[in-house]
Amino acid sequence: MTSTSHQGLPPEIRMGNDIARQLAHLDPEQAAVQVGTHLEKFWEPRMRRRLHELLAAGHADDADPLLVAGMRRLERDATDDAERRKATGG
Amino acid sequence: MTTVDDWTPETDLGTPYVDGETVGVTIDGRTVDVPAGTSVMRAAALAGIEVPKLCATDSMKAFGSCRMCLVEVEDAKGVPASCTTPCADGMVVHTDTEQVQQLRQGVMELYLSDHPTDCDGCARGNCEIQALATRVGSAEVRYGLGQQHVEEATDASNPYFDYDPAACIVCSRCVRACSDIQGTFALTVEGRGFDSRISAGGTDFLSSECVSCGACVQACPTDALAEKSLVDLGMPTRSVDTTCAYCGVGCSFRAEVKGEGDDTRVVRMVPSKDGGANEGHSCVKGRFAYGYASHDDRQMHPMVRDTTADEWRVVSWEEAIGRVAEGFRAIQAEHGVGSIGGISSSRCTNEEVYVVQKMVRAAFGNNNIDTCARVCHSPTGYGLNQTFGTSAGTQDFKSVESADVVLLIGANPTDAHPVFASRMKKRLRAGAQIVVADPRRIDLVRTPHVEAAHHLPVLPGSNVAFVNAMAHTIVTEGLHDEEFLRSRCEGVDDYLAFIAREENSPESTASATGVPPEELRAAARLYAGAPNAAIYYGLGVTEHSQGSTMVMGMANLAMVTGNIGREGVGVNPLRGQNNVQGSCDMGSFPHELPGYRHVSRGEVRDIYESLWGVTIQPEPGLRIPNMFDSAIGGSFRGLFVQGEDIAQSDPNTQHVEAALSAMDLVVVQDLFLNETARFAHVFLPGSSFLEKDGTFTNAERRINRVRPVFPSRVGKDEWRVVCEIAQAMGYDMHYDSAAEIMDEIAATTPTFAGVSFARLDAEGSMQWPVNDAAPHGTPTMHVGEFVRGKGHLVETVYVPTTERTTRRYPLVLTTGRILSQYNVGAQTRRTANQTWHPEDVLEIHPADAEVRGISTGDRVELSSRVGTTTLTAVVSERMPAGVVYTTFHHPVTGANVVTTENSDWATNCPEYKVTAVQVGVANAEQRADGAAAQRDLAAQP
Repeated sequence: MTSTSHQGLPPEIRMGNDIARQLAHLDPEQAAVQVGTHLEKFWEPRMRRRLHELLAAGHADDADPLLVAGMRRLERDATDDAERRKATGG
Repeated sequence: MTTVDDWTPETDLGTPYVDGETVGVTIDGRTVDVPAGTSVMRAAALAGIEVPKLCATDSMKAFGSCRMCLVEVEDAKGVPASCTTPCADGMVVHTDTEQVQQLRQGVMELYLSDHPTDCDGCARGNCEIQALATRVGSAEVRYGLGQQHVEEATDASNPYFDYDPAACIVCSRCVRACSDIQGTFALTVEGRGFDSRISAGGTDFLSSECVSCGACVQACPTDALAEKSLVDLGMPTRSVDTTCAYCGVGCSFRAEVKGEGDDTRVVRMVPSKDGGANEGHSCVKGRFAYGYASHDDRQMHPMVRDTTADEWRVVSWEEAIGRVAEGFRAIQAEHGVGSIGGISSSRCTNEEVYVVQKMVRAAFGNNNIDTCARVCHSPTGYGLNQTFGTSAGTQDFKSVESADVVLLIGANPTDAHPVFASRMKKRLRAGAQIVVADPRRIDLVRTPHVEAAHHLPVLPGSNVAFVNAMAHTIVTEGLHDEEFLRSRCEGVDDYLAFIAREENSPESTASATGVPPEELRAAARLYAGAPNAAIYYGLGVTEHSQGSTMVMGMANLAMVTGNIGREGVGVNPLRGQNNVQGSCDMGSFPHELPGYRHVSRGEVRDIYESLWGVTIQPEPGLRIPNMFDSAIGGSFRGLFVQGEDIAQSDPNTQHVEAALSAMDLVVVQDLFLNETARFAHVFLPGSSFLEKDGTFTNAERRINRVRPVFPSRVGKDEWRVVCEIAQAMGYDMHYDSAAEIMDEIAATTPTFAGVSFARLDAEGSMQWPVNDAAPHGTPTMHVGEFVRGKGHLVETVYVPTTERTTRRYPLVLTTGRILSQYNVGAQTRRTANQTWHPEDVLEIHPADAEVRGISTGDRVELSSRVGTTTLTAVVSERMPAGVVYTTFHHPVTGANVVTTENSDWATNCPEYKVTAVQVGVANAEQRADGAAAQRDLAAQP
């Protein structure tokens, strides 16, 4: 996506930062879990993919560190799930 | 409840229902049991005996002035007025003795002496005088004709009703309706004796404080106050009970009409006395502003065009539907299943909304369905679900009658929810207190016989700091309900420790909220100390970047004080549009199936997959703003929009228009060629509420029937069109009736399990959940335990918005609504409601105006970081310094040109309430544009 906000940020970074700022008061591990859970429950998959691409393409500096942590946590959980399913034949 | 009948006047029992132990009375030989305290007049009516009356009506307390209802009571002296005489056990009453007959004849002569013998209303059947005179046997008038006020001109200033002093008998019903029912106190009786007349404060009705609710017209027993439509069309010949399509109060109406089929004309809309939401009251929109349904702008035929630069071409339904189906399938073939989506509307019925989300999930094959609640109350859904376990308000409207303290936050009910406001004002006049938390000095801060105990001018963007400060005060001063917290809630210790922190104190938050700490503390003590304290809130809560956090903060406040689970308390969202609750209930959010069940839940998907015969995606779809972003990014190419004008209502107009322009196929289903239709390729004409068959669910979860007053004027119900699109796309979706759709909703959604058209027709209305545990519905939720079990206290940390004022943009713009207009104005701008609000104006504090050289009436430029518009300034002390305000009812103003894409962190509800702006006197070119716009406005409707 090429859209940017009036803050000059891609929407996924802007919205992700908003989520991270609201959960920043939590214990870091718990906060990362909640950020990831929120992205999983409410973001359409292409938005998560786009966020992943943005973070990989150097937008990590624009992203709240908690957003980055939450995204990594979500991706790690997804990988674990996939491997678990593979191992159990599910 | 009436559905469709030959017209008869509504039954009027004379005085209102009262509660009490049963007593037995004998009236004219008939025995009847009534609650103690019931008037003799009402008891007689219940026994089938109509006592003559003029000043009494069952919507108001007895007044006892007309002396027509005199009766004799055995073992009692005199001839008391039956309207003011309460029944006592064993009482024996005679209503038609020779003595009372003679007295009534004498009284009637006096009335006739001041009533025209050629009364138009008597002739047309809208005046009770002649009929009553005949009934009581008054054949002659010995006192001459009196003055009759015949020299006084009819006051025709109001666009919807006239006042004819000659026909007026000064019974005061209208004055009492204005004060007791509406609570405006605009009317009074001027003069004495024959000189007495009804006065709207010494001026004409239009120039007065009158809010045109029409309660006076409904109350008038003569033709003195009569609808212009009734004068034009004559008396109705049949009536249909239905539900208003404006705000979230969802008033029940009796549509009184003439003619049949396509020739049907609405004579008047009469609010239903047995309507659970409104109990016989209405506002200027619901009662009068229905003319848009037959406005010349209404589009009656499907239309298509290849590009938005082309002219529209009228086509058959088959061609239009085929074009939609082929276009959407072609986009999906090239760009993937997720490249199209749909938006449903809170102006449409539950059944219409349900089939749209079904079309998206079953025919489109994705979850890209969203609804206009995204831009208003989506944080309510999120916040109340997190804390209480269900996405809905906790009470019925009637509950406010048991509230001792009302905490009103970010809502302006006298403008946006006027019928509920009247109910609230009635309670306040009876002694309840109100705390208003709002940056503007709204009417409820001080209005006749109502004065807020505290007005807390909370600055836009600081709600969470405010609600935390309220809870901090309550907890640190030991005013919280420890027993409730320990028995009903979870997360108690963590929350109490969090909220007690100094950062949440009124003193620490004052710089953010702008509220003096002692005033806030006093308000908190008042709320916590009340036997019953209730929170009511509106879009001033939700439309913030922390909207969801604020909803959870209010839920915390209610739990901390134990104000949940009984009448008179609760957390109550005042929904903007009529069916916001319903459209959310029906699975219109991209992450939820009907009944607020997440799409990731396999057992829920199983229900629909087995019934619909398709696979449902387990991942959430795109929300409206995500659709726009994705359209600009190129991955979202086709959109079906039902009954919403996103190009006018959604924030950052330039962004929305860029997104719509980027799509290959935009389909609009609406009454009018709205702003969004400028970007559409297919237009499908919709049906007005007067043509719909279905249900609406209002802000109190009340499911009401919507019944067709006349046949669809476009030849096809909206849900049928949606089904045919799905069919043309290869998915077999078919229903024989709207009732059948509701049957499917009930079969698949636990909270609607007991709902059907037949049950609603029998019971009038029901509040969900309606199921085996609550077969007649649930007026009050979370009694005994929360839907989620324990109430969840959430640590609501205040995180300021990223939208900041600067030297360049030093003011904060907040947007809202006005009484006479509704949402984007598509309906009300096409009615005489334009009389009161022909344009959106900018309210600005005198100090902010003075430093900018702005006076009321000046055209001013309003600019933000994303856009600029011009509008007319109104200097107003209702505003706090530093905050300006406007509405978004007119496309020519384009208030959303300046609002940003900032949104609630959890739901993406736009932050309409906080935009940093600058205001300055418009330049010559802008003033010329403004003048042209004014001329265009003057030409409407």
